[in-house]
Amino acid sequence: MTLWEFVVDRWPRLAVEAYQHASVVIQCTLVAAVIGVLVGVAVYRSPIGSIAATALASMVLTIPSFALLGLLIPLVGLGVAPTVTALVLYALLPIVRNTIVGLGGVDPAVTDAARGIGMNRVAVLGRVELRLAWPAILAGMRVSTQMLMGIAAIAAYAKGPGLGTEIFSGLNRAGAANATNQALAGTIGIVVMALAIDALYLIIARLTTSRGIRG
Amino acid sequence: MTATDPVLTVDSGSRRAELVRLFLQPIAALLLVAAVLLWAFNTELDAIEVVTLNASTLLKATWEHVLITIAVTVLVVVVAIPLGIVLTRPWAKAVVPVFLGIATIGQAAPAIGVIVLYFLFTEQEGLWAAAIPLAFVSLLPVLRNTMVGIQQVDPSLVDAGRGIGLSAFGVLRRVELPLAVPLILAGLRTSLVLAVGTATLALFVNGGGLGFIIDTGYRVARTTVLLTGATLTVGLALLVDWLGALAERYLGPKGLR
Repeated sequence: MTLWEFVVDRWPRLAVEAYQHASVVIQCTLVAAVIGVLVGVAVYRSPIGSIAATALASMVLTIPSFALLGLLIPLVGLGVAPTVTALVLYALLPIVRNTIVGLGGVDPAVTDAARGIGMNRVAVLGRVELRLAWPAILAGMRVSTQMLMGIAAIAAYAKGPGLGTEIFSGLNRAGAANATNQALAGTIGIVVMALAIDALYLIIARLTTSRGIRG
Repeated sequence: MTATDPVLTVDSGSRRAELVRLFLQPIAALLLVAAVLLWAFNTELDAIEVVTLNASTLLKATWEHVLITIAVTVLVVVVAIPLGIVLTRPWAKAVVPVFLGIATIGQAAPAIGVIVLYFLFTEQEGLWAAAIPLAFVSLLPVLRNTMVGIQQVDPSLVDAGRGIGLSAFGVLRRVELPLAVPLILAGLRTSLVLAVGTATLALFVNGGGLGFIIDTGYRVARTTVLLTGATLTVGLALLVDWLGALAERYLGPKGLR
């Protein structure tokens, strides 16, 4: 069976796995974005807080994903729980780091002017600082999503959802009919989705960046 | 590079946080490893656990892991830096998108998929069967940073180099490359972290490494083995990243520090 025939033949199952893969990655990126921006907002004015948050998040990023799964399996079991925990943890660093860098890069004269026209602290943050930092935050989310697409494949080892299932199944059935097709379909599927979502980010960035700072 | 560039780095983005990591990370790694080893060897181990949890098996797995990481890093350096240099030459402009496209796909591809496919197509096993596909996945940070590092060199410096009689190669060797070294080292650190992390997957092609300990713990359902393997891997990764950070800090040209 050629790869094409294989994909057509197994389309219903592959489509579900592809959907689950994209879905878990996007949902985890969104959860990490909420947590990451909250952490960033909480610490960006305090040098010690910023150092602690970024140093901790960047040390988490250096942990190999296969090892983190190994640590999580005894704690939270198999399936969706270790997958989601691991994916959210990995997505945090790029977002926290970029939130802090983005908020720190806002010209103090701009925030002064905002205070000067009568905005309170929350309004300055929500209507000025976060909007100016948004391109950096979005870039962090983009890096996180790219990274999670690959890590989610490894999570299939801990019975997580997604296209990684096809890759591991292809490995376990090495030599059998369609083993290579399974691994190919899983890998190429992830690459195609990763590139498609990356392109989507460019459009989102264009649509959500304030007009004044659009390049 | 600015904050809005969508590039994967393991840098925390702040000089002071990097300084804190430089001191705390090796200590954290050693404490973690010491704690888990003390715990594992002071627990009553059953017959199944003893098979994996002994000094020689753990040392062998760690050594294999280090070897795979070194092999991947050597491959990345040998391929990505010369390729990055060639791609910044004016006569190579036409093929730049092709190579950057391939490297971008390499980065977007799941490491586990690439390693499994390499195994299924070549039917090779062992160290190199793991190192070659993993090098492909870890290539982009060094390639990209080599290119950006050379491109960001002030053109007037290149002109000045040519003006004092240096050849094109002389300018490359004595002006462009030294100025690009800090960025190349930053890329190398990211590639190193990718390499030490993905080397855990070598077990799937019988390449050994610490992933083998984790997998054994999972298969025989022994939390002690699983946690020991995972913690040793974390400790090694933190140490390797720390070495990368040291290289980034101290191997750059003195004038740029």
